[in-house]
Amino acid sequence: MTSDLPDKYGRTELVLMVMDPLHLFAYWEVTPESLQEAQDALGAEMDGARAIVRFYDISLIHFDGTNAHHTFDIDIGLEARGWYVPLWTAEKSYCADLGFVARTGRFHAIVRSNVIHTPRAGVSARTDERWMRVKFVRRRKPDRARPLEFVPAPEMPRRLSPEELRALEERLAREKALAAAQFGVGTMPSSPERGPR
Amino acid sequence: MSAQPTGYLCLVLHCHLPYVRHPEHDRFLEENWLYEAISDTYLPLLRVMNGLVRDGVDFRLTITLSPPLVSMLRDPLLLSRYERHINRLIELVSKEVYRTAYQPEFHRLATMYLERFLQMRNAFTNEHGRDLVGAFGRLQDLGKLEIITCGATHGFLPLLNVVPSAVRAQLRTAVAHYEDTFGRPPHGIWLPECGYFPGLDEVLRDAGIQFFFTESHGLLYADPRPRYGVHAPVFCPTGVAAFARDLDSSKQVWSAEEGYPGDPAYRDYYRDAGWDLDYDYIRPYIQPDGKRGSTGIKYYRITGKTDQKQVYDRAWALERAADHAGNFMFNRERQVEWLSPMMDRPPIVVAPYDAELFGHWWFEGPEWLDYLFRKLHFDQQIVKPITPAEYLERHEINQVCTPCGSSWGHKGYHEVWLNGGNDWIYRHLHMAARRMEELTQRFAHADGLSQRALAQAGREMLLAQSSDWAFIMKTGTMVEYAVKRTKNHIARFTRLYEQLRSNRVDAGWLKDIEEKDNIFPALDSRNFS
Repeated sequence: MTSDLPDKYGRTELVLMVMDPLHLFAYWEVTPESLQEAQDALGAEMDGARAIVRFYDISLIHFDGTNAHHTFDIDIGLEARGWYVPLWTAEKSYCADLGFVARTGRFHAIVRSNVIHTPRAGVSARTDERWMRVKFVRRRKPDRARPLEFVPAPEMPRRLSPEELRALEERLAREKALAAAQFGVGTMPSSPERGPR
Repeated sequence: MSAQPTGYLCLVLHCHLPYVRHPEHDRFLEENWLYEAISDTYLPLLRVMNGLVRDGVDFRLTITLSPPLVSMLRDPLLLSRYERHINRLIELVSKEVYRTAYQPEFHRLATMYLERFLQMRNAFTNEHGRDLVGAFGRLQDLGKLEIITCGATHGFLPLLNVVPSAVRAQLRTAVAHYEDTFGRPPHGIWLPECGYFPGLDEVLRDAGIQFFFTESHGLLYADPRPRYGVHAPVFCPTGVAAFARDLDSSKQVWSAEEGYPGDPAYRDYYRDAGWDLDYDYIRPYIQPDGKRGSTGIKYYRITGKTDQKQVYDRAWALERAADHAGNFMFNRERQVEWLSPMMDRPPIVVAPYDAELFGHWWFEGPEWLDYLFRKLHFDQQIVKPITPAEYLERHEINQVCTPCGSSWGHKGYHEVWLNGGNDWIYRHLHMAARRMEELTQRFAHADGLSQRALAQAGREMLLAQSSDWAFIMKTGTMVEYAVKRTKNHIARFTRLYEQLRSNRVDAGWLKDIEEKDNIFPALDSRNFS
């Protein structure tokens, strides 16, 4: 016998989740009380107001509610309860508000979401190197407060010949292109069909 | 070990099955996942490794034994049901030996299966005394095998992280379970589905874990860009090491078309006697409800893209497995010879696979592994098998990078576990995790019935979090079961939550679900804070 799940939890919330570098998923619940509060706050402006989720790009800043790099809105039906959101760029931090925007443009936020970070979709541009020595510990847990010992970057074993250098660069370019293409067409190397036997 | 080789091969097998145990039914279809994996994969792997030890072949293998799998492999009910399962198979295949008496090519195979299953039963009952976990543990004690842990119930951590205490609970529970099982903490972890997000390494460090694995782009896209790509581990800023999957070696084994397992000589997985033989004859050996299904007795080889399958020829298949092992070794030798001049240390080729590929899907997989380790040991000095622990002991200095958020699922991120078919589960999983946090605070000093209810709430929450359910909902077979499991665990959790809060725990019902969902008997509710 399968049990039924609570349809609602009676808690107003907006949660963002990362699907991939270019897609988010947002889900929400708005209680009747929160809805009433919003209507009270907007008063007459509630007439014709649209329910939206307003997204804030807050990459690498301390967000104070006003200093987002940019914002964008999506119109939602509150009853939909969940929505997929396509993005333009990877490797960003977002949070969002769910609320109503009146025809005058005034926005009344009901609830703010968690903060999420979308992953990178390609090779990092940073090539500066830091190296560390860490002693491996067998059969017990390492001290979690052990100091981390930074060390100079090791020398390359020898200077590479121009041919080797070219081969290395070609290989890197190939791997880069391969990974990018795979994400594009959705064939990242993945498990074969497994699971349900 | 002798002098430093040109490069290392780190083979990783991920052994995991979701916790499936239904004492309320006499026979339960999904429990067969375990029974088939024991016969097809775990016993054959143990046989291969014990044979290597016996013959003095120095090998290294890293395997995950996920906490649900360890729990099932030590559950008395499931163990006796496995014996019933193998006995039923022996009964069927004995009939097959008789039925095929006048068809020599089938008869040969029926006899092979009979010998095989008898040998399995003997290994299971007598050689290992029904304790496969102990058998793996002894190989670890010999220094040949590195057993790593996994999420407590294989929860997909990047999506649970909306409530960070859920991630901590998955990891702390897993580590405690490993310590109970093997008498020491785990060195490393297989992150469920290879799911990593920046910052996870902090939780790993706090749990005492020293290394994990990511999908290739976890390191290729790491920041800053790692000098050696996937061919050397990096340290996360916390000092936890990350190893990444090698693209070339993976494809040779994984890929259904280009990979070894698709060879025409190998046994065909899908063509099973359960569909071919007379219904009344096969009826007792197929699905409990009488639907046709797999029996494990398969007479045909892959042959090609055709329905006209030809009969399996064991000797030929084993020859191919030996060829493929040689080819794999040759490719790794060339690969590390090519990489090595560009590095100041021997490159490491990390080749992880789902363990059930070996033996279950790819019948000859365990033999391939056997040939590979023998060839590596006797035939060459260029590539040496290694465990991550040994590598990190030899190479204490590594580059510091933050791996890129990633998984080994389709498209490399989270889509497999977050899509239109399964996204409804997360509001419940997240709410349960938040509520569990609340319960843990409120009932920190509870005892008696409340303490038991709190622990059971933890078990129900963890069982609901298995990534297997979301995965099954995505792939579209057995969906009903995955939905049912998710709903039942969440519903049981919710009821416990409400009962605890109103101080009205139903003792009779609690006892009933404690017996059903009996994973982690020693669960420490402090893991959920």
